[in-house]
Amino acid sequence: MKKSILITGVTSGIGKAIAEELLLDSNIQLFGIGRDRTKIQHLINNNVNFTFINFDLFQIDKVEGLFKEEFNDIKFSGFIHCAGIEETLPISLYTPEKVRSIFQINVFSAIELLRFLSKKKHSLDGASFILMSSVMGELGQAGKVGYCSSKAALLGVVKSLALELSKRVIRVNAVLPGIVNTPLTEKLFEQLDEENVRKIKSMHPIGIGEVSDVVGILMYLLSDKSKWVTGQNFKIDGGYSIQ
Amino acid sequence: MEIEKFLKLLVEELELESPLTVTTNLKELEEWDSMVAMMLIGAVSNEFDMTLSAKDIEEITTVQSLINKIGVEKFS
Ligand SMILES: NC(=O)c1ccc[n+]([C@@H]2O[C@H](COP(=O)([O-])OP(=O)(O)OC[C@H]3O[C@@H](n4cnc5c(N)ncnc54)[C@H](OP(=O)(O)O)[C@@H]3O)[C@@H](O)[C@H]2O)c1
Repeated sequence: MKKSILITGVTSGIGKAIAEELLLDSNIQLFGIGRDRTKIQHLINNNVNFTFINFDLFQIDKVEGLFKEEFNDIKFSGFIHCAGIEETLPISLYTPEKVRSIFQINVFSAIELLRFLSKKKHSLDGASFILMSSVMGELGQAGKVGYCSSKAALLGVVKSLALELSKRVIRVNAVLPGIVNTPLTEKLFEQLDEENVRKIKSMHPIGIGEVSDVVGILMYLLSDKSKWVTGQNFKIDGGYSIQ
Repeated sequence: MEIEKFLKLLVEELELESPLTVTTNLKELEEWDSMVAMMLIGAVSNEFDMTLSAKDIEEITTVQSLINKIGVEKFS
């Protein structure tokens, strides 16, 4: 039987890279959530193993309908929450609305998806759920109150849920990358002057990462090779966080 | 937005000690540093839904030059 795997943020960066890797395996049925399908038209075209779902994760109240309509008879073996937004904003401008908006995508949408994924109807025993946090979930940086707190919140979700789902041997883990070369990082670097970009790069002892550098740990966590691994935070950052 | 209102907004959001005019050079303000630049980017993003880049920040001098970056048509 084919393994069903769900990925959010499938249209870009890390989500797209893991989708490309998973689709090399004809035994995997992949479901990907995103908004802008044009960014992965090459994956969508003629790929019987891939179902793209155009869904705006701001609409949390529609997640229930998503499971009823799209995933009604699907039991997932894996889930990766890659959708996320990054922003730099000083606390003085962090209105409740702004805070809600970053948490909505980075945290609340994941919890709501997991609410359904945790049901027997929608997951197999032994499944693996992975949340994309960030080294910023454990560290701090000026202007990142929203990003850091939302990524830290995911670490709490991982530990609690790992215990809740242990009875079904469902594993829940977080991956915490340093700077990875993706559209998200391009946007971030655009807002910084060259000097700062150079500084950030030099803070990664073995350089900033490429998406292919993160795919390996995701494949490991999805596989049975990690079947005794749960509730953990995996930093993968070229040494950024050890200094 | 009225220019007068914009000047007041900047003083408030950037927490400046003294009032601004369109000819004030932002970079010469005593308060100017990377944190104020960040607050400026945030304030402009909130008000005008546009993100100033690092290059924009580098090029800005006076408030007028900031207004030009944002787009004079957005001011009255
Ligand atoms: N890149 C890094 O350096 C880095 C470092 C640490 C952690 N991370 C984390 O890793 C994850 C992936 O990052 P990335 O660099 O691959 O980001 P990215 O290239 O910016 O991609 C973000 C993804 O999130 C989706 N998304 C955003 N808002 C959405 C919404 N309202 N509804 C549905 N989907 C939405 C986007 O889909 P659409 O474009 O189709 O809307 C896109 O597929 C994020 O959680 C990020 O915080 C990244």
